[in-house]
Amino acid sequence: MLTRPNALFSEIGTQAIERGLADPVLSAFFETVMTAPRGEVQQGLKPYLPYLSLCSDKMKDGAPPPIFYVGRESGQRTLFGEDWATPTSPASGLRTPDPDLERASAEGYGKALDGTPYYGYARTEVHVNGETFEVAFERLIVAVRPALQSSVRFCAYFGVIQDLRRTS
Amino acid sequence: MHYEYLKRLETYVPEHVRPAATERLDLKAAIDAANLTEMWDMILTLDYGVSDPEQLSPEKRDEFLNVMSLLLQAFDK
Repeated sequence: MLTRPNALFSEIGTQAIERGLADPVLSAFFETVMTAPRGEVQQGLKPYLPYLSLCSDKMKDGAPPPIFYVGRESGQRTLFGEDWATPTSPASGLRTPDPDLERASAEGYGKALDGTPYYGYARTEVHVNGETFEVAFERLIVAVRPALQSSVRFCAYFGVIQDLRRTS
Repeated sequence: MHYEYLKRLETYVPEHVRPAATERLDLKAAIDAANLTEMWDMILTLDYGVSDPEQLSPEKRDEFLNVMSLLLQAFDK
């Protein structure tokens, strides 16, 4: 009998994007970031902001950095919902509402913050508002500075949901 | 006398506006103190297309300020 694990997080590497194997919009975003002249990366982000989630560069206890911006068309908004993405009186930084997914996704942020863009594939169960979904997605994470000489960095996350189904 | 009256009107801030305006200034001051001014500017200009939150509609301004509150928390050491 063929079995498969409940969760799979796998780094594919950005070479796959260069070979044309990734989502076209994600690929265009990657090319923009990698080829933008020094100091112009931020302007290049503009058309892709609706698809991006942005988070800080602060990883504590191995957890991914907290999210502060969720694009209007982003995969995380689709998956976790409008209420999660836009808290009306935010009391703390945004975190992925599924702790297992949160833990499993940390490695990609670590690599991006070490200076190497991360591109990978994931298939896993997520628990949102008492419901269970199986989701498959590709994701690209890059670390960017808001200005050329800035001492601050942030992570730009581009996730593309390939499959999403409710399992309970 | 008329001029003095008008001058007082210029500096008058309606009671219902004052808390939100003060909150906004406090948030911007906290963003500056946390060295996140460039992030504020980047998101404001790239996503909202303005250079000052005052140029936004009240709904958009609230949305932007919520993002900035999250930004502050996300970079909290």
